[in-house]
Amino acid sequence: MKSLLMILFSVILVDNLVLSKFLGICSFLGLTKNLKNSMGMSLAVTFVMLVATAVTYPIYYYLLAEFGLGYLDNLVFILVIASTVQVIEAIMHKTMPALYNALGIYLPLITTNCAILGVMFLNIDQELSFAQAMFNGLGAGLGYMLAMFLFAGVRERLEDANPPEFLKGLPLALISAGIVSLSFMGFKGIVENLFA
Amino acid sequence: MSLLLMQTVFTAVLVVGVLALILGLIIVLIFKLFHIPSDEREAEILECLPGVNCGGCGYSGCPGYAKALASGADSDISKCAPGGKEVIDQLAAKLGLEAAAFVPKVAQVLCQGSCYYERQRYEYNGSESCASAAGLFAGPGACMYSCIGLGDCKRACHYEAIEIIDDLARINPERCIACGACVGACPKGIIQMMPKYTDLFQVRCSNPLPGKEVRGKCDIGCIGCRICVKKCPFDAISMHENRAVINQELCRHCGICKKNCPTGAITKGLINPEDEERLARVDRINEEEAEAARLIS
Repeated sequence: MKSLLMILFSVILVDNLVLSKFLGICSFLGLTKNLKNSMGMSLAVTFVMLVATAVTYPIYYYLLAEFGLGYLDNLVFILVIASTVQVIEAIMHKTMPALYNALGIYLPLITTNCAILGVMFLNIDQELSFAQAMFNGLGAGLGYMLAMFLFAGVRERLEDANPPEFLKGLPLALISAGIVSLSFMGFKGIVENLFA
Repeated sequence: MSLLLMQTVFTAVLVVGVLALILGLIIVLIFKLFHIPSDEREAEILECLPGVNCGGCGYSGCPGYAKALASGADSDISKCAPGGKEVIDQLAAKLGLEAAAFVPKVAQVLCQGSCYYERQRYEYNGSESCASAAGLFAGPGACMYSCIGLGDCKRACHYEAIEIIDDLARINPERCIACGACVGACPKGIIQMMPKYTDLFQVRCSNPLPGKEVRGKCDIGCIGCRICVKKCPFDAISMHENRAVINQELCRHCGICKKNCPTGAITKGLINPEDEERLARVDRINEEEAEAARLIS
């Protein structure tokens, strides 16, 4: 249990997907213009992250590793994630139209989100158990949500701050993303001591 | 050795192939199970539209316009400029609406200030963009309302309808699909949509300053003399901010205004007579270059 919580917190705070591993930057910059959109995207990412972990983990260990095809994980994971998202989308469209409309375009966008694929590879590289992998996926999703939430707040404030013309839009977003990322480095070592 | 290799390849292909097949089947199954009937009317309307997704109608593309028409959010069926009369007739039949009278449109540059007619205030050496030149004392041209000729409209046009020749944008009416991209791209706002009459009479000048000011800067601008206003037998011309404007709905294309214009600001047709030979020259040069490239290769 302790190791699970440790994984959860370290992947949220220390090894944050966006702010220290620099995965999923595209959606991080593209969808943090307002709080509502960023929450929709992070919910969708967290959800898909969990489902994709649950699907790819057994496929890797019981299919690819079994046949000695570990080197094909790249291809297979992309295939699996893309189809998983398609299936989730179709089911959601029918059964939960409200949620489907709320997530809108973000759900299909996740098909090519590198954050998902990145977490799948980390699960395998770190040789986690299935429970640990699920917690890793959950933590990565929550960490993504935290980063999106904080950064959307920062950007909404910046919009009102009337920055100079040459900084408006993306330049300012990139600079502030760098500063937010720096601030997350302050969490280094916190998790080891938290559970010491 | 080769057998082992074959075996490895075979396993890999088999495993990935079967996996892909299973995933495909699951997707097909799920889509069948959770099928949502889409709006057929919307699909039919979309079929009528030309599908160039130019955004001239004001929506994000053809699907957006089809959606608005199908849901009844928009009842104006004449918004598709590239489609022209044909599409409007089809849409009218589909939606059971009266086909509105449709005049195809074309973008026109309301300026003739090429380097032969317009004086320059300074030499511009900045980046190749009208917008940035316009930010520097309203551009290098003496006239603040003139075409800068650095080609923002040309870059906005996806249909290669605009050529910049002698510092003036020239629109080829045969290629223009009236999407309006150039109208938004021009920092001076001197490109306008005009009805596509082959004998269109228009005042090709956008300068709202008094005649004396215009005369000092450009040989071919509208000086606001009002001769055309008085001469027009149909009262189709009126003055707006010191320049004449021809009301295209009232114009009967008699050409009296053009004959009497002292500066030549009023032109007939969609391209200047001067443009015609220049465009022909550009075409000839392009052809020669293509020929040369062909010979070299």
